[in-house]
Amino acid sequence: MFKIFIIEDDRGLVALLQDYLHKFGYETQAVNDFERVRAQFETFAPHLVLLDVNLPKYDGYYWCRQIRGISTCPILFISARDGKMDQVMALENGADDYITKPFDYEIAMAKIKSQLRRAYGTYAGSNNERTLTVAGMALDVERLVLTRGEAKVDLSHTEAKILDELMQKSGTIVTRDRLLEKIWDDQAFVDENTLNVYVTRVRKKLAALEITDGLQTVRGQGYRLIPNWGDED
Amino acid sequence: MKLFLREQIPLIVVYLAQLILITLVYRLDGGSGVSVSLYAALLSTCLLLGYLAYRYISNRTFYERLETVPTSLDEAGGPSQDSPLAVSLRGLLGSQFRLYKNDLHSYRHKLEEHIHFINQWVHGMKTPLSVIHLMIQDKDGPPFTAIGDELDRLKKGLDTVLYTARLDTFEHDFYVERLDLETLVRSVTSEQKRLFIRNRIFPTIKIDERIAVTTDEKWLSFVLTQIITNAIRYTTEVGKHVYFHGYIQEEKRAVLEIRDEGVGIPAGDLPRVFDPYFTGVNGRIFQESTGMGLYLVKQICGKLGHEVSICSEEGKGTTVRIVFRESYLTKM
Repeated sequence: MFKIFIIEDDRGLVALLQDYLHKFGYETQAVNDFERVRAQFETFAPHLVLLDVNLPKYDGYYWCRQIRGISTCPILFISARDGKMDQVMALENGADDYITKPFDYEIAMAKIKSQLRRAYGTYAGSNNERTLTVAGMALDVERLVLTRGEAKVDLSHTEAKILDELMQKSGTIVTRDRLLEKIWDDQAFVDENTLNVYVTRVRKKLAALEITDGLQTVRGQGYRLIPNWGDED
Repeated sequence: MKLFLREQIPLIVVYLAQLILITLVYRLDGGSGVSVSLYAALLSTCLLLGYLAYRYISNRTFYERLETVPTSLDEAGGPSQDSPLAVSLRGLLGSQFRLYKNDLHSYRHKLEEHIHFINQWVHGMKTPLSVIHLMIQDKDGPPFTAIGDELDRLKKGLDTVLYTARLDTFEHDFYVERLDLETLVRSVTSEQKRLFIRNRIFPTIKIDERIAVTTDEKWLSFVLTQIITNAIRYTTEVGKHVYFHGYIQEEKRAVLEIRDEGVGIPAGDLPRVFDPYFTGVNGRIFQESTGMGLYLVKQICGKLGHEVSICSEEGKGTTVRIVFRESYLTKM
């Protein structure tokens, strides 16, 4: 299990980050005494450090240099400063990457994962791979595979994103806006019609697993996945 | 020279009066002839001219100093000669200049402190913003969408404050590099996806993928965000598009056109849209106009060396054009 050390003075942000990281099976510890960061680092011996720039007493750059003196573990800065020069300064002080506030969980997670992969090998402790299971239907988010019992079907990236969102909130309505937001990326902009097309495709994939009316349209609001295909988990 | 002569007029007048007076006294006393009088007058006039010449030469820089108007602070020094007048003028100007500079310096210092404070404060506010952002990220449904929208507005407001404050210290705060125009535009539109989706307006991007521009990523992103926000705000019908068109003009200058299908700007308002705090007719109809957006766009583009222009037709839409100073076609 990877250990992540969080050096951030905002309690709320620390709590949210810890909750989220625990979900993915990381062990975390946050700094409580900002004068003895180095000692706490040494006793916890983390695999990765999340570090804020504005801290009481000394700033993040200072602690980054201190940690670099005793360890080569990946250090990720989390800062509100979005200037190129701030990022350059962080990297020059020994950081490995930079996350700008406000950030999305996904971005923070992706950066943490990539740093861990780089530092400790590709599949080192890959206990944090994400699979979602709803009533016997399992979605492997990394491999883009949907399985139910013996049956198995491959998904496209977008289809996986839609199912991911629907399965996380199975039983409740997911708005069209939210789905649009999830599947929109730099390369392809999705409008209403495209979303309809994708939803139809997802229904077909579900049908291949003999789930016929699991994905319901809620007029004027969005979609809802109802686990009504009767498998027990 | 002129000033010197004007200054000496009383002396010359008194001298002439004295000359006439003395000549008259001698003439009436019957002492001397006309030629003697003329000769005396000539001699004494020569003396006067000699005196004037000496005065002028010894105080030449003093008069020149008085006659020239300084165009910058650095030219404000005193005359360089050592005559008493020149020395005292130099002293006076020097001490005035010092006082003025001290005053200016203290104001500049205050302004810098203020900018520093604003910077710190805005960055400080981003932490609670991130906390709220993370708290609502996994939530869906009416209250959370509304909170998300308000959060976006807060974020934009903070950025506007930050960039307005930074504008004055622009020189310390930019990092020029060659950037791929299409990638930049796509990442900005992607950042604004919530806004696009919420208003059911969609971007259409058609940019020559070989265009690279020399610019600062952060500042240009801010400019594009402002233009996009305007485009979406003033497009009232759903299902419309915002077109991003990037192409190379003749003379190898890259152009980025951002065209919306919104309400357009009345012709009467058009010349003033880049003025600070100008909101115009649309600003009064639509909410949330500060009149600062396009002003900042113009200022920042000016500093980056990009030309920005706007044209609009009421009811049809608005087009903002950014012409980049130099651009390259990346090698394929």
